[in-house]
Amino acid sequence: MHYPIGLLFDLLASSSALPWNITVHFKSFPEKDLLHCPSKDAIEAHFMSCVKEADALKHKSQVINEMQKKDHKQLWMGLQNDRFDQFWAINRKLMEYPAEENGFRYIPFRIYQTTTERPFIQKLFRPVAADGQLHTLGDLLKEVCPSALAPEDGEKKNQVMIHGIEPMLETPLQWLSEHLSYPDNFLHISIIPQPTD
Amino acid sequence: MEENEFFGEKTFQRYCAEFIKHSQQIGDGWEWRTSKDSSDGYMCKMHFQIKNETVVSRAGTSAHEQTCLPMEEALELPLDDFEVTESTAANEVIKYEYHVLYSCSYQVPVLYFRASFLDGRPLALKDIWEGVHECYKTRLLQGPWDTITQQEHPILGQPFFVLHPCKTNEFMTPVLKNSRKINRNVNYITSWLSLVGPVVGLHLPLSYAGAASQDE
Repeated sequence: MHYPIGLLFDLLASSSALPWNITVHFKSFPEKDLLHCPSKDAIEAHFMSCVKEADALKHKSQVINEMQKKDHKQLWMGLQNDRFDQFWAINRKLMEYPAEENGFRYIPFRIYQTTTERPFIQKLFRPVAADGQLHTLGDLLKEVCPSALAPEDGEKKNQVMIHGIEPMLETPLQWLSEHLSYPDNFLHISIIPQPTD
Repeated sequence: MEENEFFGEKTFQRYCAEFIKHSQQIGDGWEWRTSKDSSDGYMCKMHFQIKNETVVSRAGTSAHEQTCLPMEEALELPLDDFEVTESTAANEVIKYEYHVLYSCSYQVPVLYFRASFLDGRPLALKDIWEGVHECYKTRLLQGPWDTITQQEHPILGQPFFVLHPCKTNEFMTPVLKNSRKINRNVNYITSWLSLVGPVVGLHLPLSYAGAASQDE
């Protein structure tokens, strides 16, 4: 898929030792299941499409639309060429929010589980509650994916993983969105079975 | 902002229900499908189209049937004026599947579609771009990747082509403002689909317009 490689690793192989050994196929492309990757332009377009969607959620697309084409290009080139400062010069604007608010309008996130037919869960979720309290990762899961959480007194069945680590469920979602998002500005969260060792 | 140009998932489902009601009345083939694990769902319709070198007129074909642009290799078969001959190969018939889903990120409907030959071979993105009607071609060529791309269907997980939703609000706002001025009820889905559908070969019979303004 057009998924970030780190997400694929967390979701499918997190118990493997690095380096991750993969098998590359050159025949029998599964047309019905996978998207083709025809060109670099396609990857750039997909990346920018995700960034735009994330900004639609965070800022009603205001920030991304106010940028010029060259800023969009800089964001992509910074990512493509592994230039941290070049990338963040633009990305930091996508991480800002108005002084009078406590966070973004909605948090861009996708929750992945290998056990469901649906590829991911994505819903509208605000980072701040009506009373001004910051919502946490636990709040998010409780609302959109309660099966991911352990029952009150029960055993922990799943790991909630972002970038290969399990953030504490008490972490404010707004903070996660600003600091732990992928370059496409989405929080890609994997729910995987707790390893039994 | 223009909060009233956006709507929530419930409103989307309501408009779809009205749309499907009319579709059932005229046998237009739209259905509602729900996802297994939650309350969200989408509209879908299947449609067959003949891809051919010359315009084929079939007895009983409705006037708006669109033909695709000519293939590079010329077809050698002579075609009867009034019917598709038996020698027309199966791989010239294309099955289109259209899905209308709701995007919570953009708070607008989104058109997903896929196309395959009868033998199951899917059409490539390049074929889709080539098949776009002439009058929409300029827009497509300005930014093909911004217009029609291939993405994962959010409910089924399979690859589908998508008409990108980020401009939807831009072109729907004047349509809705206009109908409010003349105090006319409008089914958002009907108006929207009548605008975006033709770009990818999907046409709505005019009777939908009448149905949309009947509901009070």
